[in-house]
Amino acid sequence: MTALLEIDTLTGGYRDTNVLFDVSAHIEAGSVLGVFGRNGVGKTTLARLVQGGLHPVHGDIRLNGRSVGDLPAHARRGQGIGYMPQTSMVFDDLTVRENLTLGNAREETETYFDRFPRLAERLDQPAGTMSGGERKILAFVRTMIEDTQVIILDEPSEGVQPENIDHMAECLKERALAGAGILLCEQNLSFLTGVSNWFLGLDAGRVVLNKLASEVPASELRSILSL
Amino acid sequence: MTSVLILNLAWQISTLALVALGLAIVFGKLRIMNMAHGEFVMIGAYAPVITSSLGLPGWLQLPVCLLTVAFVAFILERVVIRHLYGRMFDSLLATWGIAILLREAVELIFGRGYQSVSPPISGTLSVLGSDYPAYRIAVIIGIIIGFAALYWWNARSKVATRIKAMVGNPDLAEAIGINTARLSAGAFIFGCCTAGLAGLILAPTIRIEPMMGLDYLIRSFFALVVGGLGSLEGLGIGAGIIAGTQSFLGAVVSQTYGYLAVLTLSILFLWLKPDGIRSSSR
Repeated sequence: MTALLEIDTLTGGYRDTNVLFDVSAHIEAGSVLGVFGRNGVGKTTLARLVQGGLHPVHGDIRLNGRSVGDLPAHARRGQGIGYMPQTSMVFDDLTVRENLTLGNAREETETYFDRFPRLAERLDQPAGTMSGGERKILAFVRTMIEDTQVIILDEPSEGVQPENIDHMAECLKERALAGAGILLCEQNLSFLTGVSNWFLGLDAGRVVLNKLASEVPASELRSILSL
Repeated sequence: MTSVLILNLAWQISTLALVALGLAIVFGKLRIMNMAHGEFVMIGAYAPVITSSLGLPGWLQLPVCLLTVAFVAFILERVVIRHLYGRMFDSLLATWGIAILLREAVELIFGRGYQSVSPPISGTLSVLGSDYPAYRIAVIIGIIIGFAALYWWNARSKVATRIKAMVGNPDLAEAIGINTARLSAGAFIFGCCTAGLAGLILAPTIRIEPMMGLDYLIRSFFALVVGGLGSLEGLGIGAGIIAGTQSFLGAVVSQTYGYLAVLTLSILFLWLKPDGIRSSSR
């Protein structure tokens, strides 16, 4: 059986500089792949290579067995790969409502507004006027409600209040339970370990750990983060 | 006398707003400094020359104008512009070369001499005691209605929101499924078509010749400098100030003073208020 998303010996980076080298991983439907590592080890590069903002030098990405490695980002979104970037994650000039409705929404926003009531209060406000944490939440909800099979999240919890990080974790688990495959890049270890079924540890652009979450003791995660 | 002055003002302002609209889209939104903008006005103005030399009926002027301009814009976008989004200075140089190429091409086909065409509506209308060409009055009303419609569309349409999203954050726009290459190409071609339409509308009132575009480019640029990039209000204000100043001083003092005043105004704005009167947030 093929995985929902296969990352096959992916090498790539920015222009002439490769950041990732021969990274392979896979995400099953209904599971969360937690990608971790120190700053600058290639987490964002991996997210962008899978999402299509960057193109691989070699290697491939397959969605349901079909190669998407050559497709531009908008076409990958069309195939069902959603993405929340780490920075510039909302359209500052558009209102909160426009940010939520511009892409193709899969479901109603109501359940998310129950968890993040601040968004509902600010629907007609330009997203750029909100705080960093609020913009993260907006981008997170936008990514969650899209009609996607694979969701890539790059540091969603950065600058977000702890209670809202808990809400994010609940949303992720629900979305995975509904069949989505999630690639989560995170620095926040408790959030990461709370939702991930599988861990992918990176150091200097290479895979140093690729295991079922239950087989990885916390000490091993911490030792990779302090490599 | 005064009513003619006011109607002349309205004519100058509305036609400049239409001429500058395409540049506002292409320069203001896509950040392509299209030095060939005036040449699209020129190509549009040649549409009636094309139809009459081929013996085609007058109603074909508009489709011939839009198809010709769209075709040239499409090729230009594919071959040159596509590689220059966000590279303003490079786009300036490249489109300057294209402007020369287009002028030469038109000169090769139609010659250097002046061409003139007659307006589709002849005669005059009496407005507040003065006689004024009916064609010009129809154009002024048409442009006002057109801009009102555009304003309404801009506030409501999903395409306008997508363009705003793409301009503000192109990577995120791609990530949510917007084909930014196609949207940019569409916006570029639309901008060029409005310039061509302006040329077609102006054709019966001017001398049509291959070099005519430059003056329209400069005045459009002045209007955007004064009014500010990125909003229709800014475009209207800029066109009002530039065309207003020029035609008022032109009528009261002389054309030279009108041109001098506009130039001085633009330099002052570039120096002291480079974002113009109504600048968008970015």
